[in-house]
Amino acid sequence: MKKKTRISKRKSIENLQGVLFTLPVIIGIAVFTYYQAAQSLYYSFFDYNGFSKMDFVGFKNFVNIFTHDKETLVVFGNTFLYAVITVPLGLVLGYLTALLVNNKLKGINIFRALFYLPVVIPAVAAGVLWRDIFNSDYGVMNQIIGVFGLHSRFFEVASSSMPTLIFTTVWGVGGSMVIWLSAFKNIPVELYESAKLDGANAWHRLRYITLPMSTPMIFFNLVTAVIGSLQTMSTMVIMGGGAGSAGKGESNSLYFIVVKIYNDAFGRGGRMGYASAFGWILFIIIGLLTFVLFKSNKWVQYAENN
Amino acid sequence: MDTAIKYNKKHISAKNRLITAVLYLTLTAVAVFLIFPYVFMVSRSLMTVADYSQVPVNFFPAKPSLEAYKNIFVDSHYFKYMLNTLIIVAVNLIAVPLSASLCAYGFTKIKYPGSNFVFSLVLATMMIPGALLQIPLFVFFSKLGWLGTLLPFTLPSFLGGGALYIFLLMQFMRGIPNELENAARIDGAGVLTRYARITMPLCIPVVLFIMVSVFGGLWSDFYGPLIYLKTNPASYTLALKIYIDTISVNVSSALANVRMAAGVFMSIPPAVLFLLYQRKLVDGVMVGAIKG
Repeated sequence: MKKKTRISKRKSIENLQGVLFTLPVIIGIAVFTYYQAAQSLYYSFFDYNGFSKMDFVGFKNFVNIFTHDKETLVVFGNTFLYAVITVPLGLVLGYLTALLVNNKLKGINIFRALFYLPVVIPAVAAGVLWRDIFNSDYGVMNQIIGVFGLHSRFFEVASSSMPTLIFTTVWGVGGSMVIWLSAFKNIPVELYESAKLDGANAWHRLRYITLPMSTPMIFFNLVTAVIGSLQTMSTMVIMGGGAGSAGKGESNSLYFIVVKIYNDAFGRGGRMGYASAFGWILFIIIGLLTFVLFKSNKWVQYAENN
Repeated sequence: MDTAIKYNKKHISAKNRLITAVLYLTLTAVAVFLIFPYVFMVSRSLMTVADYSQVPVNFFPAKPSLEAYKNIFVDSHYFKYMLNTLIIVAVNLIAVPLSASLCAYGFTKIKYPGSNFVFSLVLATMMIPGALLQIPLFVFFSKLGWLGTLLPFTLPSFLGGGALYIFLLMQFMRGIPNELENAARIDGAGVLTRYARITMPLCIPVVLFIMVSVFGGLWSDFYGPLIYLKTNPASYTLALKIYIDTISVNVSSALANVRMAAGVFMSIPPAVLFLLYQRKLVDGVMVGAIKG
């Protein structure tokens, strides 16, 4: 009897220790995440400018987003178009690049480093750089494609600005290359050795070992890429503009959801309630997409012993 | 027979050499394409203002000049803002691994009733978009009087850690045998000693990975600083200062070469980290955790 109470006493001390270890993070997510998310939901039912003005408007913000705001359709269209093209493009190109450098050729580390180099260009410098390179009057890209008799106005006209932006994402391929490379490293070498003994050629080894074995990573990358691309705001630097008009692109052709939320909330209007409602719509879309992705992941093959 | 084998071998090695040549050719072509913007940025940073605004643009400077770099380091146009960036980075390099590892230790090595539920609450924070939280946080920090100070980027980190980092550390800690902990416990080591002396030293690879990621995330971030620091130019980080200069029309052409130089300068630490860290990064701290 006595022993039992001592054990349970020790157990409850341990429980307390466990709680104490996790307490900072519990407080942190309570104060800086969940409380704030609740606040944001609360604001979304108000006409709120962040300071004194705070009038309850019910569902008016949500209704206005879908019925009155002409920008809604534009930012959703642009963001989805961007996501639908750049996510598969990035995954496939990253995967191919990783396959290309997944060998033991002399100097392969140098190539890996060179491929990764564009990734370390800070976003603020990249914006200036792209605007400079793709300037239609004196940009170096027009000089390059001019060799083939081509000329484009790139970011300066609505029709070519989205393709140009998508083109610039190709230079980020090194980021996903690194993740794929580490995925390849985790595939047991024995699989390849026994496949070679069975006479499998390079294509078979890719098709029946590398690809299926990297599906967990493909899935993980797919989910994070979708979530990330829906929140893209790289155009804030490329397209510039003052408060309230940042990063819209020519005729709103590069206007994305997150940039609109930023402009609505922190631009001249200070429509924080409205922007909060927009943020919740984005949250719901991301949640639904993640749910659908997780429901449809039957093609993902997790290693059995895990 | 002999000659046939020999011929075959020769044939194979010729084929291999062809494959190798094609591989190198492809690698070089891809490399030239991918490093083009970086090389161009470096080249532009070595131009004088006059040289920079030449039309049509020269790919290489007429006469390489360190004018732009002198502007950063000697005339200190951008340099003073780096101090703010460094303060934020330094605090987070300590705070994030500390709070993340304490939490991960509590979840894996102690475990208490309900800890799984708490863990799922931590993981769920990954789903909430930053765009949703930034508005209430702006109001919250404004009420606390934190806007225009570095506090929003430092203090919360001691209570944060980030769901992904906690998750990575937990996966790693699960791989450490509990016998180590138990042996230390029998020797009379308290829980803090066991955390600091037994578990943490074994987690150094993940902690390094986290530090590299934390650095990369904060070093060039302009968006967070844009929201919380905009009102007070003295609090600007390097990235924010470059951004503000870029979007304001009057300075944007005047200091273009300096911004390129700042870009080159800002890219050096992440590039060096990548080179130092390439092996470990590729060996895959991340993947082990995701598969586990």
